[in-house]
Amino acid sequence: MAEEATTPAPITNGEGISQQELDSNALHDELVMKQQEAIDKEISLTIPLVRDKESVRVLTEEYKEDAVYQKKVDEISASYKFIRRTRPDGNCFFRAFCYASLERLVGKEDEFKAFREKFAASKDILAAAGFTQFTVDDFYDNFLEILDKVGKGMTDQELFDQLNEQSMADYLVVYLRILTSAELRKGREFYVNFIDGEQSLDDFCQLEVEPMYKESDHIHIIALTSALGIGVRIVYMDRGLGGNHDFPDSLAPSIHLLYRPGHYDIIYPNAETV
Amino acid sequence: MKEGAQVLPVEQGSNLILLRYFQGIKVWKEEKQLTEFIMAQNVSPRSGFGGSRKTNEGVSGGSKDTHSVSKRLHSELMTLMMKGDKGISAFPDGDNIFKWIGTIHGPEETVFSGLTFKLSLEFPSGYPYTPPSVKFISPCFHPNVDTAGNICLDILKDKWSALLDVRTILISIQSLLSEPNIESPLNTKAAQMWKNQETYRKHLTEVVHKNSN
Repeated sequence: MAEEATTPAPITNGEGISQQELDSNALHDELVMKQQEAIDKEISLTIPLVRDKESVRVLTEEYKEDAVYQKKVDEISASYKFIRRTRPDGNCFFRAFCYASLERLVGKEDEFKAFREKFAASKDILAAAGFTQFTVDDFYDNFLEILDKVGKGMTDQELFDQLNEQSMADYLVVYLRILTSAELRKGREFYVNFIDGEQSLDDFCQLEVEPMYKESDHIHIIALTSALGIGVRIVYMDRGLGGNHDFPDSLAPSIHLLYRPGHYDIIYPNAETV
Repeated sequence: MKEGAQVLPVEQGSNLILLRYFQGIKVWKEEKQLTEFIMAQNVSPRSGFGGSRKTNEGVSGGSKDTHSVSKRLHSELMTLMMKGDKGISAFPDGDNIFKWIGTIHGPEETVFSGLTFKLSLEFPSGYPYTPPSVKFISPCFHPNVDTAGNICLDILKDKWSALLDVRTILISIQSLLSEPNIESPLNTKAAQMWKNQETYRKHLTEVVHKNSN
């Protein structure tokens, strides 16, 4: 037995990779991670979580050289007046949804009451998912606190400031992610059809929904809008057919988001003013 | 700090549970240490917890987040104590709630049986939506642990979310001990040796843990 341990055989894993190669791979991974971190930091220092409202015409500037997109901007400006850009950090759908759903309640008592009721009911969806209570309570309470401040007359500027404060804003995003995951688990039979490949719904929730900075897809949007009963219209701006899509399709949209590949911003229809 | 004193992070009656926990796990040999810990929390929770904590750049590190994190960590401490899981425990290191020391007993009927492992857990200001950094302090010869004690475990990286907690981390690490992922090792020597459990056990007791336990 003792001989076996002293044999100076080259150490390899199953695929014949030596420890040395493994270390150099690890070093490479580390460098890639460092670079990614530097990019993330750059983004977090230079781009606010949510920006001020701007005319949708700012998009014309952005796509000066691109005829396809220029045309799309024209189409969009026919129906939309303003855009509010969000930080592209993977949380943009949740952040945009959060901002737009709270902003539309400022100074609107009836809308506030209706939303507050739906929001309070969302706690039942979490309970059904069987999450450890203390892990979700803080996020729920925090969201409710902001919501009630809006109900008590928070101004647009105050809301803007609060939602640009990272620790506050991230708590709101976490809540919406947890809620989305709970809704997916609740409607498992339905949602499982939208998941590609071998991945189980629970794995999908753990890998693609619950962690921060993971980008959202249709399935996230359907689940969250259904859980809170808020209709969202997504306007697509890409090289494809574009067009609009309402989520869930049973509800009239009260929030409008602009989708460009990999990113969501808030847009405001023509009828609304500053 | 006056307003801080009104918001006690330790819930009523929890001191008693803390004491029971303390008696049970015997991690803290001096009762004084525990009493001091509780006192430090109750007198000035915010300064007590946040003192040595770094705040991320670009984050307005107000007292709100510090307080939320410490409140959350207290709930976690309570849960750990009340569930009383076999073979795992953790406790703040001194009076800093942002740094804990965890203990895992090697699962029975595995090569690690009878061995005890200490880990350090450090909580960033973005906790719980940012994962804690968890490392073995004790030497751990394991396919998915490198020589510096770093652990390769999905829930500490891309599977981390705010729904997880210290308890789930320790339980996952404990089961990683008995079920290593041999396909993607951090320690190829350990991965290689794993197929021969007898040699592995011998290596653990005669080389790695020669001077401990």
